[in-house]
Formats: sequence, C-alpha cells, structure tokens
Amino acid sequence: MDSNDIVISVENITQRFRVIHERPDSLRELFTRFFRTNAQFHDFEAVSNVSFSVGKGEMLGIVGRNGSGKSTLLKIIAGVYRPSAGRVVVNGSIAPLIELGAGMHSELTGRENILLNGLLMGFTKAEMLEREQRIIEFSEIGDFVDVPVKQYSSGMYMRLAFAVATEVDPDILILDEILAVGDVPFQEKCFERLRNFRESGKTILLVTHSLQQVTDFCDRALLLDNGRLMLNGSPEEVVSRFHSTALPNEHELIEAAQ
Amino acid sequence: MRELIAESFRYRELIWALALKELKIRYKRSVLGFLWALLNPMLQMLVLTLVFSKILSANQYHYAIFILSVLIPWTFFSQSLSYAADSIVGNGDLIKKVRVPKLVFPMAAVVSNMINFLLSLIPTALIVIMMRHPFHWTWIYLPVPLLALTIFTLGATFFFAVANVYYRDVGHILQILLQIWFYFSPILYSLDMFPAQYRWLFKLNPMIYVLNGFRLSIYWGLLPAFQSIAASFVCAFVALAIGYGIFQKHQDEFVFYV
Repeated sequence: MDSNDIVISVENITQRFRVIHERPDSLRELFTRFFRTNAQFHDFEAVSNVSFSVGKGEMLGIVGRNGSGKSTLLKIIAGVYRPSAGRVVVNGSIAPLIELGAGMHSELTGRENILLNGLLMGFTKAEMLEREQRIIEFSEIGDFVDVPVKQYSSGMYMRLAFAVATEVDPDILILDEILAVGDVPFQEKCFERLRNFRESGKTILLVTHSLQQVTDFCDRALLLDNGRLMLNGSPEEVVSRFHSTALPNEHELIEAAQ
Repeated sequence: MRELIAESFRYRELIWALALKELKIRYKRSVLGFLWALLNPMLQMLVLTLVFSKILSANQYHYAIFILSVLIPWTFFSQSLSYAADSIVGNGDLIKKVRVPKLVFPMAAVVSNMINFLLSLIPTALIVIMMRHPFHWTWIYLPVPLLALTIFTLGATFFFAVANVYYRDVGHILQILLQIWFYFSPILYSLDMFPAQYRWLFKLNPMIYVLNGFRLSIYWGLLPAFQSIAASFVCAFVALAIGYGIFQKHQDEFVFYV
C-alpha cells in the first residue's frame, strides 16, 4: 500500500481508564483520600498497544466480543478520547456515528437538529443549509421536519440521525453497530448509500456483531480481544478465528457455571 | 489566550446555535416565552420600589433605579455562572460521543445570558423614562463595562465549569458563594454609605469596579475614573487567564469524568 493512500494510521495506542469503586465525584472523596492511602480505583486498559492503518477507499470491519475495546478504539480515532499512549493520524474529515442521534436535542425541531448536528460535526451553517433538503428527503420525515423530535417515532428519529450523519459527505465514515436502521426498505436505502460511499472512494470503519456484514461488505477486518489486536486480515480469516476463539470461552463459562 | 479567540471565532456558529437552544429551552412551554426576559426586571423593579421607597422610605433618590443599574449586570454574571457550572457536566452525553471543542459549552451559556441581559436593558430604559429619571447620555458608555464584565464572567465560568466536573459539590457551593458575593458587592448600597476606613475591604472584591461603571453611567450620568476602568479590565483579564488556563489544561480529561 502506498503511504500516500493511508487515511488513518494508528500507532501503538493504549487507552487506560480509571475505574473508581466509590462515588467519585464529590468532595467526600477528597477527604477520604486523606485517610485511606490505598486507592479506591484501579486502572484498566480498554485498548492495549494497537497498531494498524487504513487505506483510502477501504472498508474495514472491526469485530470482537463485548468489552473487547471496539467502541473505545473508534472513539479514539474519532477524537473523542485522547489516547493514554500512542498516536493516531487521520487525513480527511470524519463523520463519527458512534451513536446515532448523539447530538440530537428532543426539544428542538428536526430542522434545528439538522443544523445543530452539522455544526457539532464541524460543518458550517451554509454547508448544512445546502444539504438540508437532501437530508429531509432521504430521511422521509416530510412535514415532521418542523416538529420537535421528541414527538417522532423511534424509526423517524433514527432515519433523521442516519440521514444527517451520512449526507454530510465525510471522507471517513465511522459506524458503530448502526449499519442499518428503520424498516426493510429504509435499510435497503442505507446499504445503497454505503455502497455509494465505497464506490466514491471513501473510507469506512464498521464495528458490528453481524459477521455476515463483515464478510459481505468489508475488504479487511480486525479482531480485538481484551483490548488487544489479535488478527488483522481478510474478513474470512477474521470471522473463522473469531468463531474459534469465541467458542472455547463459552465452554469456559458453562464449566464455570457448573 | 490566542487559542481562545481563534477557537471561539472558528466555532461561532456552533456557540450561537447552542446559546439559542438554551434560551429556547428556558422559555419553552411558557405562555409569555421571551417576554419573561423583559418582564423579570420590571417585576423586580416593582418589588424594589415597594420595599425600599415606600416601606423603608430610603432617602436615596430613585432608589429602584439606583439598584437596578447594577442588579441587571449582576444577574447576567450570576446566571451565567449558574448555567456554565453545569455546562460541561450537563453536556456529558455529547462530549462522550462527539469530538467537539469543550469551550463552546461555557461560552454558549454566557452568550445566552448576554442576550437576556441586552433584552433587559429595554425595560430598564422604559423604567428610567417612566420614573422621570434623567436619561443620561452616558448610556452610550455601557459597552465598556459590559466588555469588562463579559471577560470577567467568562473567566469565572471556565473555572466553575471545570471545578464542577471533578467535584459536583461545586454547583451547590457556587449558589452560596454567589449569595455572599451579592451582599458584599455594592448593589443594594453604595460604598460611600460606609466609613472611609472600611472601604478598602470592599476594594478586594473584583466586581466593584465594573459594577461602578454601570451605576455611574445609568444612574448618575457620570463616567468612572480612569483608575477604576483600568482596575475593572485588570480584574477581568486576570480572571480569564486563570479560568481559561485551568480549563485548557483539563479539557481533554473531561470525557473521563462526566
């Protein structure tokens, strides 16, 4: 791979979290610290020394069991977390769909939310007004665009959020288990949109529990376990390794239960 | 400090949108809506006039305007602080999911209260006219103390927004602090009501210089002495340097504490 084509470069990143066992956020903790020298927290590594790179136009799947560090990794790439160690270099704009509708406010109308979400993602007001009509059309919410989103059905809400996130035309799209929302015809539209993204040379990072989606869509995949990168390879390799590592653990669980 | 100006300019549309959102939510479902911003000083005025000029028969000429001239900027200050103290914690969900410059939240709190302040100047002017108090030309000087007050307020809001992230007690402490601060500021009285030997005590209060500017120009029709203006700006910039310094140092950690 030509180094000019690398859009995301992740170098030895580690993310440590401090897990605090007692109520952390009050002055009381400040006082108890004086009396108890042994810490009431422990550090835990959600992501340990992970390195990989993603080329332009690649669709990369990330799989792993719950708690394996997938979402943390995406948040580091999206810039939500500054990693405890290591470096991330991103070339291009990112639309982080870490969670659909993260920037939505229930008291605001659809139209106001479109603007606010766009601004939160770093776009200008002019850019968002230009895209507004397309977002409304894609999301199929019609006249509801001028109604506060708290009155939306959950389907309408998700469709609007998906439309905003994907209509902004980012260079890199990050999807955290939200590949398809809404009913079947709308899901079809979502997949259609993703195919268009790929064809226009955009880079997509996809976290999913659907191994089917990984083999169907991705060019390459990563397997994470306990915050460590176990495998960086073809989707088929990763899926088969995922099966072989996931199963023994299930046996362990059953044994432990007995 | 340069970064603060650059970032605020770069995200001005987002700050403005967040400020409008805040106002919209504050007045939502109230029949009078934005009119409350105008009515509040009117009603305060009515109470002050009744209590002080009729019941206590204060001998200060137009005592209500005497108080209102500094009560309105004080309200801007204390409301901004109360809103901003919660601005990072209250937007925690957003900070955890979207990469967004953290300074937009306290800034938006100050901007929304600034809009409220500017609106409340309208009824203040009406009251001045209704009570046949002279409408001084020195009103045009108001942007100067307002600038100093805004800078000071920003510094304080940055500080309390950070402190509240680490210790949620701060929000409660702030309310008590604001009450004490209110009574130790020349709002219900003026400094020359005190014997000269105690006045130095009040000069430790960084708010007196800027409040002085408001009272002189609205009530007395005078401009403050140069030393007083200089002192108000020195206090303002020191507050901003400290507040923003702390904010900048800790802003990458917020996501782990909210």
